[in-house]
Amino acid sequence: MQLYPLKLVTVVGETVIMEDIAKEGLSLGATGYTMSEVIGQGSRSARNVIITGEARTLKVEFVVPMEVAYKILAHVSTTYFEYYACIAWLSDVQVVRGQAYIAG
Amino acid sequence: MLTPPFATVLDSMPTLVAVFNAEQLTRMVNSLEQNLLTPIPLCFLLGIICTRIHSGIKIPKEFYLSIAIFLLMSIGFIGGHELAHEYQAHGVSTIWKPALVTLFLGCLTPITSFLVLRYIGGLSIADSAGIAAHYGSTSAVTYAVANSFVEQTQHPANSFLPTLVTILECPGIAIALVLGAALSARERAVAAAKAGRPVKESKLGEALYEVMTGQSIMLMAGLLVIGFVSTIFMPEKGMEPFLEFFKSKGMLFRGALCIFLLEMGLVAGEKLSDLLKVGPFLVAFGILMPLIHGFLGVYLGHMAGLNLGGCTVFGAIVSSASYIAAPPAVRLTLPEANPTLSITAALAITFPFNIAFGIPIYFEMAKWVGAT
Repeated sequence: MQLYPLKLVTVVGETVIMEDIAKEGLSLGATGYTMSEVIGQGSRSARNVIITGEARTLKVEFVVPMEVAYKILAHVSTTYFEYYACIAWLSDVQVVRGQAYIAG
Repeated sequence: MLTPPFATVLDSMPTLVAVFNAEQLTRMVNSLEQNLLTPIPLCFLLGIICTRIHSGIKIPKEFYLSIAIFLLMSIGFIGGHELAHEYQAHGVSTIWKPALVTLFLGCLTPITSFLVLRYIGGLSIADSAGIAAHYGSTSAVTYAVANSFVEQTQHPANSFLPTLVTILECPGIAIALVLGAALSARERAVAAAKAGRPVKESKLGEALYEVMTGQSIMLMAGLLVIGFVSTIFMPEKGMEPFLEFFKSKGMLFRGALCIFLLEMGLVAGEKLSDLLKVGPFLVAFGILMPLIHGFLGVYLGHMAGLNLGGCTVFGAIVSSASYIAAPPAVRLTLPEANPTLSITAALAITFPFNIAFGIPIYFEMAKWVGAT
């Protein structure tokens, strides 16, 4: 079985921006994403008011090649870090069927 | 030049203070007792206590979201049903004035809030507009609690009040966001130029769409239409099971409201720790602004022909702040506004104040302006 070395970009942030980040990730070259609801606390705690079901914390993950990963991280940090509760990180992953994650 | 109703309000202010005698104070205390020592506010208080002593009570999220859906559907359906009766009896003659007053107050309250926050409180444009959006809109739960209060005191509100809640929900948020986006456009351009990045496009349109299609509007307005249409076209007998299920005096609605208020208390209890962060100005704003808006609501409601219960409930909805529709819209449009300020003011100051003290105060104000 062949494993492909790729990057996993993980972005965790408040609900209002996560759908946009997912879409923007696709337009920057990702071939897909996974989104899930998570629980946590950060320096901006206001989003933890959960009366509405809207103010949740979401996590979006992209498996992408290195150059796309950098584009997504640069975009997220310049667009969202200033005002929104949001964190992003990069990890190395070994992926089965790795060719599916390389656009074009 | 002041319009006649405002001139009358301002003229009567000194009288308001002068006529506040011992008898009225006793009546006010009685009203407070009648309100405070009932299950709904007590459940809210229990929620706050449970959070403060870390009791570990947790209402499952899906459960209270379902309760919120039920409450909104009930308010809408019963409102539509009563509106149909009102329409069949009087046409639109009794409704158009209160509807117009609601629209007027929906446009006025975000502006007064913004001006007070910006020029008396000295808050930034974005923070002022963000908080004004919360105070310009309304809280459906405050409506439900106020309605229960007037029903308990045997002074039921006019049947079309739910229609007014729906009308009040949107314009306040829209006006405050447009105001904030327009006034902060220059600040943003300067900040973006300093940071060397392009100016971000405004998400105002998207935010307003989200408010219009959000849960509270869609369920309340949708069920209002369903209640209205089915009352007109369906035989009374056929309507009975639906009315039994949704009615606001019923076992289901009152019980659901208690559970929802317990959850609100749990959340408000958490936000109480943020009171120190927001400072004394916002605490005073969260109490005084609703009283001013509430009085305007009661007075103009009375002028528009609302009854005693109607004026009370109307005062409560005009004074209340939104914490469901407004927060996501403000986050989208004015991301630089600090959400801790607006959510703490709406949820930890104004909501508890209205539930405990505001509603009986509006009730006494309504009696004072002569509503019957």
